[in-house]
Amino acid sequence: MGILSLNLFISALRLATPIALVALGETYSERAGVINVGVEGMALAGALSCAIVAYFTGSPALALIAAIGIGASLGALHAVWSVYLRADHVVSGAAVNLLVTGFALFLTRVIWGWRGTSPSAPTMNAWILVGVGVFLIALSQVYIFRTPWGLRLRVVGEHPRAADTAGINVYRTRLFYTVLNGALCGLAGAFLFNNLGRFTDGMVGGRGFIGIAAMVVGNYRPLPALLAAYLFGFVDALQMRLQEYIPSQFSLMLPYILTVIVLAGFLGRAQVPKALGKPYIKEQG
Amino acid sequence: MEGIVKRFPGVLANAGIDFSLSWGEVHGLLGENGAGKTVLMSILYGLYQPDQGRIFVRGKETRIRSPHVAIQLGIGMVHQHFMLVPRLTVLENMAVGWEPRLGPLLDRRAMREKIEALVEEYGLEVDPDAKVEELSVGEQQRVEILKALYRGAEVLILDEPTAVLVEQEVEALFSTIRTLKEQGKAVVFITHKLHEALEICDRITVLRKGKNVGTLSASEATEEGLAEMMVGREVVFTVSPEPVKSEGRVLLSVEDLSARDDRGVPVVRGVSLQVYDHEILGIAGVQGNGQKELVEAIAGLRRPTSGRVKVGEHDVTGRSPHTLASRGLVHIPEDRHLRGLILTFSVEENAVLGRHREPRFALGPWAQRRSAIRAHAQELVRRFSVSVPGLSAPARTLSGGNQQRLILARELSRAPQVVLAVQPTRGLDVGGMEFVWEQFLKARKEGAGILLVSMDLDEVMMLADRIAVMYQGEIVAVLRRGEATKRELGLLMLRGKGAVD
Amino acid sequence: MRWTKELIPIAGAIVLALGIGAIVTALTGYSVPAVFKQLVIGAFGDWYQLAQTLTQATPILFTSLSFLIAFRAGLFNIGAEGQLYLGAFFSAWAGFSLRLPPVLHTVVCLLFGAVAGAIWGFIPGWLRAKRGANEFVTTMMLSYVAIYLTSWLVAPGGPYHGTQWANQTVRIATSAQFPRFIRGAQLSWGIVVGVLIAFIVWYLLFRTPRGYELRAVGQNPLAAEYGGINVARNLILALVLAGALAGLGGAAETLGTHRRFIENFSPGYGWDGIAGGLIARAHPLGAILAAVLMGALRAGGQAVDRAGVAPADLASVIQGLVIFFVVAPELIRYLRRLRRGKLGDTEP
Repeated sequence: MGILSLNLFISALRLATPIALVALGETYSERAGVINVGVEGMALAGALSCAIVAYFTGSPALALIAAIGIGASLGALHAVWSVYLRADHVVSGAAVNLLVTGFALFLTRVIWGWRGTSPSAPTMNAWILVGVGVFLIALSQVYIFRTPWGLRLRVVGEHPRAADTAGINVYRTRLFYTVLNGALCGLAGAFLFNNLGRFTDGMVGGRGFIGIAAMVVGNYRPLPALLAAYLFGFVDALQMRLQEYIPSQFSLMLPYILTVIVLAGFLGRAQVPKALGKPYIKEQG
Repeated sequence: MEGIVKRFPGVLANAGIDFSLSWGEVHGLLGENGAGKTVLMSILYGLYQPDQGRIFVRGKETRIRSPHVAIQLGIGMVHQHFMLVPRLTVLENMAVGWEPRLGPLLDRRAMREKIEALVEEYGLEVDPDAKVEELSVGEQQRVEILKALYRGAEVLILDEPTAVLVEQEVEALFSTIRTLKEQGKAVVFITHKLHEALEICDRITVLRKGKNVGTLSASEATEEGLAEMMVGREVVFTVSPEPVKSEGRVLLSVEDLSARDDRGVPVVRGVSLQVYDHEILGIAGVQGNGQKELVEAIAGLRRPTSGRVKVGEHDVTGRSPHTLASRGLVHIPEDRHLRGLILTFSVEENAVLGRHREPRFALGPWAQRRSAIRAHAQELVRRFSVSVPGLSAPARTLSGGNQQRLILARELSRAPQVVLAVQPTRGLDVGGMEFVWEQFLKARKEGAGILLVSMDLDEVMMLADRIAVMYQGEIVAVLRRGEATKRELGLLMLRGKGAVD
Repeated sequence: MRWTKELIPIAGAIVLALGIGAIVTALTGYSVPAVFKQLVIGAFGDWYQLAQTLTQATPILFTSLSFLIAFRAGLFNIGAEGQLYLGAFFSAWAGFSLRLPPVLHTVVCLLFGAVAGAIWGFIPGWLRAKRGANEFVTTMMLSYVAIYLTSWLVAPGGPYHGTQWANQTVRIATSAQFPRFIRGAQLSWGIVVGVLIAFIVWYLLFRTPRGYELRAVGQNPLAAEYGGINVARNLILALVLAGALAGLGGAAETLGTHRRFIENFSPGYGWDGIAGGLIARAHPLGAILAAVLMGALRAGGQAVDRAGVAPADLASVIQGLVIFFVVAPELIRYLRRLRRGKLGDTEP
């Protein structure tokens, strides 16, 4: 058996969770027409706020709420910028990432005096969050394809004007799902914190972007995206075990290389929402 | 509607229009492009808010703040550009916003039953589970009408519904309109075609330059009278090509060309045609029969799957637009904004698009001849009377007509042998159309061969020396000017070969 | 005319960001006047401090140019950090392995850096042009790969582990080094090369047919294709050039600032380049100013830290805020509309 043990498959599920949560969030916002590359920063902010609240209150539950709240607020910020102020979606998302990185370094210094890390703080069992994640993904699969609200979401991303004439508020819908995306990223960040027991500024480490890749591979569907995320989680788990055999730098590269390969193989086939990244301008009235 | 005024930056679209509609009538709204028909109806549908004026629905003054409000008042509108999501099914498209629910879920069965009831009632055959992208334009229009009826429309606004249809589909549409009328519903029929208005409408209102020039009952109206009301003088605009003699040289020859569309479906199937000197060859056909892909395959923008394209003696199959241009083939693309211009680039930068590498404008890849580019742009603007705020102004600041002039100037100034043009007058006002037509006739007189693709049969019949009819990716007939009536062409466009027996 | 129209909203954004930075400073319990005084002194206080600012501005200028040249072609190069590392390592390799006369040696080292970065730009460029892979994600992923790769090269057990006490290469030959301006300060000829390259990039983008094509592809790929421009080739070219520029930035760090390759030498210059390119509104000459601004924030931040009035990372917070306000061109108009009480999303 060697490195291919049952343990490996189990820890793959753990490592897949933050990726899958980001992929789910991105599925929602892109289906509504908003590209959000700020997921990396939103997850980092979630992890940081989780660490801060857990450290000071000792309550992992409060910490979880804080993480989701901060993620949602950043989602709202991105939505205001990209939906209402019509900033380029990618640019605005990149700005979120830079802003959060700055704040993370600053606040860790201010609070604990260490640059970019926190001391350990009370956590909850990360498996709870794994369960929550899987449940949310299954629920979302039904929500997007079987409910009236899911139908409206899909129309907003494909043909906002048609949605508008059907009485659906395009701006508010986009705002809502971008906030939801932020909240899910915050949850992903909370998982990362609870998984490790403390905060480090490199703890997201590209998992936000990998989450976007998982969404693309899953073709904007929650359950297939979960499977893609599991693949990434598996490689992540595998590389940790491979470190015994090859220099750690090489095994650490694996998830990133896999992402590039998978993207190169899949992107052409994804059904990108028609109005993705385009600002909606109502008729002048 | 009383005294409706609507201004847009630089345009007074509606200058105090009164308009009334009664139950059980079909009311024609007639006018040229830009007369304000669509704007007036968009106000009724809640898409725009009027700057002045009042709207009464069922005798009560009402403010229609959004289409949603309009729909709740029983007003439905079928736009020229359909409000349908191609990737969703007919059922999903119709349900959105008014979904029947089964607990938290969308009740597909209830929705299907409702659609079937409507289909039954109005005789509008459609498959609820088909994806909209798989439907023909005529079927999509039916879905739009059904959608409006499902939402409880008592007043139905149809914006140029016949523009995308051929003769025979028009007849089916008219019978649907008559059914609606019998049920006591009111229909507004927007058009600029006189005979259609006379055929189907009970009353006709004519708009000109944002004003109501008169409402009269169809029985007392005549084509001549309406035409005069529309344009304000007696002549309806047309240009008449003077006869010129072709020398019989083949300038463009397409041999057995096939191509696929973006989804990989073969939509151009073994097309062969020749364009001679001093000739306009028109391609008539219903939108989506492979015309777009055919032109792209000729123009070097789409790789043909088989067949050959020759300009004069030179085989240019699959060569880049750059090579084609050097052989004397230019292309007036279908969509000015999508292909023809780079809207954020300045007028002078756009003036050399496609020629930016010519020695006249560049010293190799690493230096531009800025003064030559400027002088060239100046020259184009002068010769083709393009009205621009300045040569450094971005192209997006030009009006639609001037954008088209700039493209024509750029391409026709290259003294082309062959001109490919797709829908060159779409969205232009009468002055703009005339300008385009005159430029084509001038190029023809100077010896060029022009391949003109248009969905507007009148345009094709007016300009073309020969008309090729395209149906399902094939050329099903090639006719000389005057050889076929509009009705016969319509049949060919709709049914292909064997249509005329 | 157009200059001022561009500059005013950017200046406004910077002032707004500094204002919010001041609020953050006050809220976290630091003295606002002390922090801002140190920030200014640290950035521009004397010749040495100014040199510090420009030293930090040098790599940021290169990565800003890297970001904006890709941006002009409609692409996002998020991977400048990795390209910078590769450029830094390979120019160092040329610096300590080759024996060449001065000047020539420097030029060869710069070329090594540029080519290494260019290769790292070519891969995502090719994947985007031929396979449709989103370059935003791939450049980022490849950036991690590059950082781990260079890290292994100088780690214990790696082939170029040059000194016992740190993960770094040996020093490069004197013949390869950039001369420095002030004794004791790291500021080198790198900044001059950077400014020169900014002008070259400007010329390339706005005065050559190649730049015309690159911008055409960025603004409207369909029209570019119609105009006979090879879109795929220009997409690849843009990321190759972006990679080369970031690689040059790494080379400038090696040749001027550190004179060897050091693991994790960059405090995030690649990321600063995104900010710099955006603040400059993707204009190469604007990038010079943007890079100086960010260099000043970094140098000033260090002075703030040294003086013990607040952590240096306050500067990154302000930097993040600046970008946020710069990227929303509608913001000013929106605020004006809000004031008029006519809040609508409607004006096109």
